[in-house]
Formats: sequence, C-alpha cells, structure tokens
Amino acid sequence: MIKLLKCEYKKTRRKYILFTALLITIIQLCWALYGNYTEFSIKNGWMMFLYQLPLVNAIFMPLLSIIVSSRLCDMEHKGSMFRKILVIAEKGKIYDAKLIYGFSIIFFCNILNWCVTIIFGYIKGFSGDVPIILYLLYLLFTVVPTFAVYIFQHTISLLFKNQAITFFAGVIGTFCGLFSMFLPQIPILRKSFIWGYYGVLQFVGLFGWTKEERYLNAYFEIMDIDWIFFTILIAICIVMYVIGKKLFCGKEV
Amino acid sequence: MKEIVKTNGLSKRYKDVLSVNSLDMNVKEGHIYGFLGPNGAGKSTTLKMLLDLVKPTAGEIDIFGKRLNSKTRIEILANIGSLIESPSYYGHLTAAENLRILQILLDVSPSNINEVLHIVRLDRQHSKRVSSYSLGMKQRLGLAGALLSFPKLLILDEPTNGLDPAGIQEMRELIRSLPEKYGMTVIVSSHLLSEIDQMADDIGIIANGKMMYQGPLNLLHETDNTKNLEEIFLNLTGKESSL
Repeated sequence: MIKLLKCEYKKTRRKYILFTALLITIIQLCWALYGNYTEFSIKNGWMMFLYQLPLVNAIFMPLLSIIVSSRLCDMEHKGSMFRKILVIAEKGKIYDAKLIYGFSIIFFCNILNWCVTIIFGYIKGFSGDVPIILYLLYLLFTVVPTFAVYIFQHTISLLFKNQAITFFAGVIGTFCGLFSMFLPQIPILRKSFIWGYYGVLQFVGLFGWTKEERYLNAYFEIMDIDWIFFTILIAICIVMYVIGKKLFCGKEV
Repeated sequence: MKEIVKTNGLSKRYKDVLSVNSLDMNVKEGHIYGFLGPNGAGKSTTLKMLLDLVKPTAGEIDIFGKRLNSKTRIEILANIGSLIESPSYYGHLTAAENLRILQILLDVSPSNINEVLHIVRLDRQHSKRVSSYSLGMKQRLGLAGALLSFPKLLILDEPTNGLDPAGIQEMRELIRSLPEKYGMTVIVSSHLLSEIDQMADDIGIIANGKMMYQGPLNLLHETDNTKNLEEIFLNLTGKESSL
C-alpha cells in the first residue's frame, strides 16, 4: 500500500491537484468569512458560523471532491494506464490507494478550513471562547458527508472513462443536496441524498428572526443531533465503498 | 520442451458474440510465439485473458505451471511484461518518471530504468514529456515498461504499430534477441504476416475465436503446398469465414 501511495504522489507531479484544492478552499473561506460583522454577529459569531457554514460546505465540498477524484483518475484513463497497473498491483489495493490519497487532500483542506475559521473568529473578536466540542462535532459532520460524496465521485471517476459523466453526476447531486437544504419542511428529501447530509447534521438553528424585526429578537440554539442519520450515513459510506470496490475489481479493461 | 503458457477450452462471450471459442494455446519456454488472426478474431481478448484483464467465460489458463486465478494472479503476473493494444503512459510525465512509477510497483532495481531506456533507444529523450512523443516513441516506451523487470514471459500485442520501417526492423531484431539474451519467452501478435514469418518459432492462427493452426512455423511451411505465410493464413482464415 505504501508503494501505491508513493506512486500516487509521483503521478500527480505537474497536475497541481493540491494547488487546485487549496485554491478552492481559499475561495470557499473568502465567501464564507467575508461580510459585514454587526454587533449581533460579533456577539454570536461562534454559533453563527456553525449555523451558516454547513450550507457553504454543501456547495464547495462536493465541488472539491469532483475535481480531486476526476483529476486523479483521468490520468489513468487518458494514457490507458489501468491496462498496465492492474497487471502489476492488486485491483482492490489500487482502489484503496487512490481513495486514501485523494481523500487525504480533501481532509487536509477540511482541517485548514476549520483552523482558519477559528483563527478568524478570534481575530474578529467573537464573544467568549470557541465552543471546541461543538466545533469538533462540526468538523466531524463536515468530514463524514464529504467522505460519502468522495467515495461516490471516486468510484464513478474510476469506472467511467468520460469524466464529463462524473462531473454532471456530481453537479446534479450537489444541486439536489443544496435545494433539499432549502426545504426543511420535507426532511426526507435531504436525507435521501448524500449531498444533503451537511444540512441533516446541522445542529445549530436560528430562531426568532423575522422579516420586520430581523435580528432584534433572534438567537441561535443548539438542536438535537440526528445521530440515527449520522449512523445511516456511515452505513451508506461502507456500502458504497464495498460496492465501488467490487465494481472496480470486476471491471474489464 | 516445457510449456510456459497452456490454455484449455478458453472462451469469452460478450453478450451474444463468442469472441474466443474453446481456445487451446500452448507456448513453449524460450520460444517466440506468433499469434496471427484477422481483425476481430479474438487475439487481443485472448492476450487480455492471459493477463487477467478480462475474465474468461469458460476454460482454464496455466502459466509457469500454475493455474491463473485471483489467488495466484499477482505471483504469476509479476513475471510477465506486457504491451497490449496501444502503449500505456502518463502524458504529463517524462519517460523516466513513467518508468520510475512502474519500477516502484514492480520493486525492481532503479538501474533497470536506464537499461531499458537504452535498449529501446529512448535514453536521449528520457527527460521529455511523453505527451510530446510520436506514436512510435510511445510504443518504444511501452516496450521499455514491459521489459523493466526483465520478465520470464513477454506479451506484445501489435508492438510495431506506429513505427516507421526502420523502427519495425529494429523492433523485430530486438524481439528476436530477447529469448537468447534474457531467456524470455515472447508471445507476439501482429497483423503483419511477413513480420511474424521472420520472427516466430511457433505460430497460432486464430479466426472467429477458434484456433485454426498451432505449431512450429517451419512445419506449417513444409506441410502446406503454398509458399508464403500470407497465402497459408488466408487459406486457413478463409476456411473458417466460409463455415
């Protein structure tokens, strides 16, 4: 496995995959953190981020997954390299090595994003200390749905030579997940798509906001965490991994 | 002489099409086995089955005296070098970088990279990105990748594709020298009949997935009244097509 990971690193030379991932993360951070910070925002800054950021993640994390997985797999398809490496290495290990390498880039971006968000909060002077337990939960609820989305993208990028298919599948999924977040009155909708789990696992809500009074009586509150659907998401990850690996191992080239 | 590759009733069906039909192939150690057949005869599918890139619908494959299956594949394939259809490469990397990846995976000495680049005469262009190579150069790189571990068995599918006449001649001489120099057994498929005629010790002629003839090349010349391989080939494959 170490040999395969080393090769993945060598293959990505001149592909600028990490650079592209970092660029997307910087754009995400600029979008998420830029704004007019009012007294209300400064006072409730830590909770406000926990409320707002899952929506931004629902847009950027699938995008990051599409780009990283597609670039990692496209180079194999373009040069017909599967014909070569599938003869040398075990098929299942190739699937795992690409998954580990690609997701470690995404995970690094997740951690960077998380750290910058907290540092930004301190620089802005948000009231109180960072609620670290809540922020760790937020990190967990970002990483696990992203992992589910990445397994999906990784598998279809490996199976389909035409990366336009994987791009459109990812974009359609992202839109479905995003729109489901705007329809909280139909909870089953967001629970039906892996892309909607950024919203399913959102545990901070904004209450008391009205169009007339706006933030006058508004407050953030921690809601019940949907552990059942978190467990279901982990089960989905396992099922997608097993099916994806089986499909790749059975692929004829 | 010991048989290094032996297939028994090897078949492959794609939906309603029987691409390879009960093929019995026997390749002797240290020989060059020319695999001939018209387009779509099942040559590439057969070679892919030998490399476990395609799963047979029926039949068995024994290589180095071991049955090829999911448990033995890595052990068997570690001793096989291959170049199937078009050459495989990472276009954004140089030839040396491409071979370095294969060298890590094959766990062979880094010095083999320069050696095989020298053999295929790419040592002067090894630092150029492969995307800027001509088809012939890519084909040479493909062969370098196949030779990298100096395997016991080399499977080459149309290795002269894209080469100029001088390159074809060079490739032919190189293949011809491999059994003697490195003790390799070579299976080479080609649509250029004259090329096989000049290279192979044994020959297998396949048409519509069936083996029409298998045996020493010289015996084929002796037993058939016709004189050149092209006529023999057309005679054999024509028979099958008319069936």
